[in-house]
Amino acid sequence: MGTISKIHEMLVSKQCSCTELTKSYLDEIEKSNGELNAYVNITGEEALKTAEQVDKKISGGEEIGMLEGVPMTLKDNISTKGIETTCCSKILTGYKPIYNATVWDELANQNAVMLGKTNMDEFAMGSSCETSYFGGATNPFNTKHVSGGSSGGVASAVGANIAAYGLGSDTGGSIRQPASFCGIVGLKPTYGAVSRYGLIAYASSLDQIGPITKSVEDASIVFDAISKFDDRDSTSQGNLGGETYSKLNNDIKGMKIGIAHEYLDGVRDDVKESILKAAEVYKSLGAEIVYFDLPELKFALPVYYIIACAEASSNLGRYDGIRFGYKTEHYNGTHDMVCRTRSEGFGDEVKKRILLGTYVLSAGYYDAYYKKAQNLRGTIVKAFDNAFEKCDVILAPTVPMTAFEMGHAVSDPIETYLTDICTVPVNIAGLPGVSVPCGFNANGMPIGMQLIGKRFDESTILNAAYKYQQAAPENFKDTKWGVKL
Amino acid sequence: MVTREDVENIALLSKLFVPEEELDSLTQSMQEIIDFADTINNAPTSGEAFDNINNLSNVFREDEVVKSYSSEEILSNAPEQAENHFLVRNRE
Amino acid sequence: MSYELVAGFETHIELATKTKIFCGCTTQFGGEPNTHCCPVCIGLPGTLPKLNREVVNFAIRAGLAVHGEIAEVAKMDRKNYCYPDLSKAYQISQLYAPLIIGGYVELSNGRKIRLHHIHIEEDAGKLIHQHGDTYVDYNRGGVPLIEIVSEPDIRSIDEAKEYVEKLQQVMRYIGISDCKMQEGSMRCDVNISVRPQGSEKLGTRTEIKNMNSITNIAKAMEYEFERQTDLIESGGQVVQETLRYDDATGTTSSMRSKEDAHDYRYFRDPDLVTINISRDEVEKIKATLPELPADKCKRYIEELQIPEKDAQLLTKYRKISEYFDEACEGVKSPKTVSNFIIGQMFSRTETEADKEEFAVATTPAQLNELVKLIDDGKIRNNLAKSTLEKMLDSGKGTLDFISESDMGGLDENALNDLCKQAVESNPKAVEDYKSGKEKAIKALVGNVMKNSRGKADATAAEAKIKEIIN
Repeated sequence: MGTISKIHEMLVSKQCSCTELTKSYLDEIEKSNGELNAYVNITGEEALKTAEQVDKKISGGEEIGMLEGVPMTLKDNISTKGIETTCCSKILTGYKPIYNATVWDELANQNAVMLGKTNMDEFAMGSSCETSYFGGATNPFNTKHVSGGSSGGVASAVGANIAAYGLGSDTGGSIRQPASFCGIVGLKPTYGAVSRYGLIAYASSLDQIGPITKSVEDASIVFDAISKFDDRDSTSQGNLGGETYSKLNNDIKGMKIGIAHEYLDGVRDDVKESILKAAEVYKSLGAEIVYFDLPELKFALPVYYIIACAEASSNLGRYDGIRFGYKTEHYNGTHDMVCRTRSEGFGDEVKKRILLGTYVLSAGYYDAYYKKAQNLRGTIVKAFDNAFEKCDVILAPTVPMTAFEMGHAVSDPIETYLTDICTVPVNIAGLPGVSVPCGFNANGMPIGMQLIGKRFDESTILNAAYKYQQAAPENFKDTKWGVKL
Repeated sequence: MVTREDVENIALLSKLFVPEEELDSLTQSMQEIIDFADTINNAPTSGEAFDNINNLSNVFREDEVVKSYSSEEILSNAPEQAENHFLVRNRE
Repeated sequence: MSYELVAGFETHIELATKTKIFCGCTTQFGGEPNTHCCPVCIGLPGTLPKLNREVVNFAIRAGLAVHGEIAEVAKMDRKNYCYPDLSKAYQISQLYAPLIIGGYVELSNGRKIRLHHIHIEEDAGKLIHQHGDTYVDYNRGGVPLIEIVSEPDIRSIDEAKEYVEKLQQVMRYIGISDCKMQEGSMRCDVNISVRPQGSEKLGTRTEIKNMNSITNIAKAMEYEFERQTDLIESGGQVVQETLRYDDATGTTSSMRSKEDAHDYRYFRDPDLVTINISRDEVEKIKATLPELPADKCKRYIEELQIPEKDAQLLTKYRKISEYFDEACEGVKSPKTVSNFIIGQMFSRTETEADKEEFAVATTPAQLNELVKLIDDGKIRNNLAKSTLEKMLDSGKGTLDFISESDMGGLDENALNDLCKQAVESNPKAVEDYKSGKEKAIKALVGNVMKNSRGKADATAAEAKIKEIIN
């Protein structure tokens, strides 16, 4: 498996050069991207330039960092200076940021080799990657199925071994859900652990950048690298829980793993079965399983949609054709120009969420929707705080189902929203959550489980996830695609 | 109850055009989502005031000048510009 | 029927911080277009605001200066509206929890104009309309503002003018803004309504936006007062709307277009955190505030025996009052200092801007020295006056123009001798005085002055002569 530590070892032991490695990734992208549609922008030239630098260091006998020279990708909503960043929206076509997102500054400084920018639902609004202006990324386990969303491109690329790892963003499950669909690991960090500076906002109070990786160790390595306090983000706190990598192999004997009944409601049988099996694995590792109720969960989804859409309607007001991005051709006056630009530039799902957000904030509705949702957000935060008095981590499905077929999502919007039901509570409460592969359904599509932790306690959930990975390695599988290492 | 007028009004606020022929179906679809959002009305209102997720306060920067970007950089993504300004040309 | 004017003000004041409210770009006025900008203040996707601490401090100063209550908890909200000068399509402002609550501005007629609150927010960029094209410059975008919102307590145009002047004066005193209306660093929106004299009920108001001179405020209010009164008199109704004042025609007109839907959808800005202000901090800031103009004025009148009118002139501008305070250090007669400033110095600083700057050639220490010579009876007023003219022309000190000999011969004994001599050599005048001709004493004083070659103090001489005669 093309994990970070494996690649690092290969580079250090000079089994291959970074340039050779990068070229083989670029070759595989070339071969497979037509079907996977994971990348929307391939930056081969820049990648090879960085690879060359890394090779120079290695041949010069210099030590290299863990992430140095490792080929990776960024979701296309993470700003990269001079490299087109579109959020997979027509409205940002041609937009080249004049600054780097903090996370990319951090990784670029460590000589990460960025292969390109990856596909996503337009402005991260969607659960299948299909609202992308460039069409959806497909699932490496079966390309008739969706990759999930919104970080579908990253998950597809990592699942298909055409990137060793990637950074996605998670507002209501956008890292964990596609990771689950593509049979890999996705970590949504605690709100505030990773800087949001340069992440093109969907819903500012929920958005968080995190890694999508082949293994739990990789998620830990990348998380440690990007979870730094950032002066430019007022909500940034950095990794308050301390670095996670060295604590991965801690004993979990006596660890209390909680299961909330509500998380298993309405979940498909095959998914539920895998989760309960995972609980058994934990028992065998000496952990204790505790069951409890978390009735507040039933409000999480409407609360999520109200808050996310309200913030989005405000965040997306700036796309007006004046400073950057798409501008309509024919118009009559500024107002007309702005309306046409936005109507032509945004896709239907984005428009719908902007309208919904505008509605819940507008005079006469603010109290009933936005204010009430904020109040319930407080209730949900408290409910999780209480739950964590009963357990150390919460085990839940990541998604109530496995990856559905392409084209299915658009047919029933509410049902599509329901795919987020297990992931959104974590964003509402600002908690860390990691999705880990825990089985396959009858059609061979991956199933994911989610471990949810206390605020800034990434260490505990990654440790628990690692222990599971050790105990059930059969769930971590390569696909037919990509670089074979 | 979401009305056509509501949708027209919020579309104007959102600076989006909704074609006449889509207005009914959009109103309908907005109504469905609002019905879904309405489920929170059954929830008891708690005393838990929500401020910000990590209850942060007093995050400030000092009043120290940082070099600005050049106007070339600032304008580099502008669809239209003239004389170092962003430009909205009056077209018909 | 006679009508009463009712007005409230929303006053925007640009704060004189070095940097913008949410980024490190300079707040300097002017500059080539779009050169005081960065990704944050042009609202590039992904950028985040970070609050300038000094903005909070300046707002607290403003709050304290107008007797407002400093909130313990304040928050930032987004005010959503789409306009080309607003780079994010929302203005970061405060609605639900502003920094300052209440307060008042006291007018010279003793009325207190109550303030509703003061909040901090960001300024928008600048639009230039040319041949229907719109040019956008974001240099001003993100410059910090405070908005001072008054209650509808103003009852006349004179009160309105004084209210604006008082705000301008006090904000300049505390050093948070230059309040230059012509440069836009102070702008007023005026809410105005009329009602029958004696009525308690408020009439429907209109809002005149963006007034940038006191003259225009007065003219616009006058026009609007008449317009509303005429409308009501003729049986019509005032429509609540936003107006602009056209300087050229002297009229107001509606700003509303069908494109504006006014619903700002305020909500808490999720990119910024809560502001907690400890009472300690408030006390610390309070300690750094200068003496405020109203307090200074009172002190000048009560302690320094300066006439009220003069005290007001001296305190109108902070620099003048500071000049006065320094020049008064240890003098016996502050009134003399005041007279020199208001008389000779004001004639050299005629414009408001000159007074604001008060860059006269003579330093307060030099004036102080000159006045002390008078205090000590070493020179008399006339000589001091002409000397000050020379000092103001040249920037040189007192001693450059007054010699030792000018200051000599004025001691008690010399004066005594001269007075005795005058009484002895003018028996006629002495007789006249004794018989009730008060004026006759002037001749005796004149004699002393002549013999002292102008060095004697007339008042002292008169007293001495009376003493000798009696």
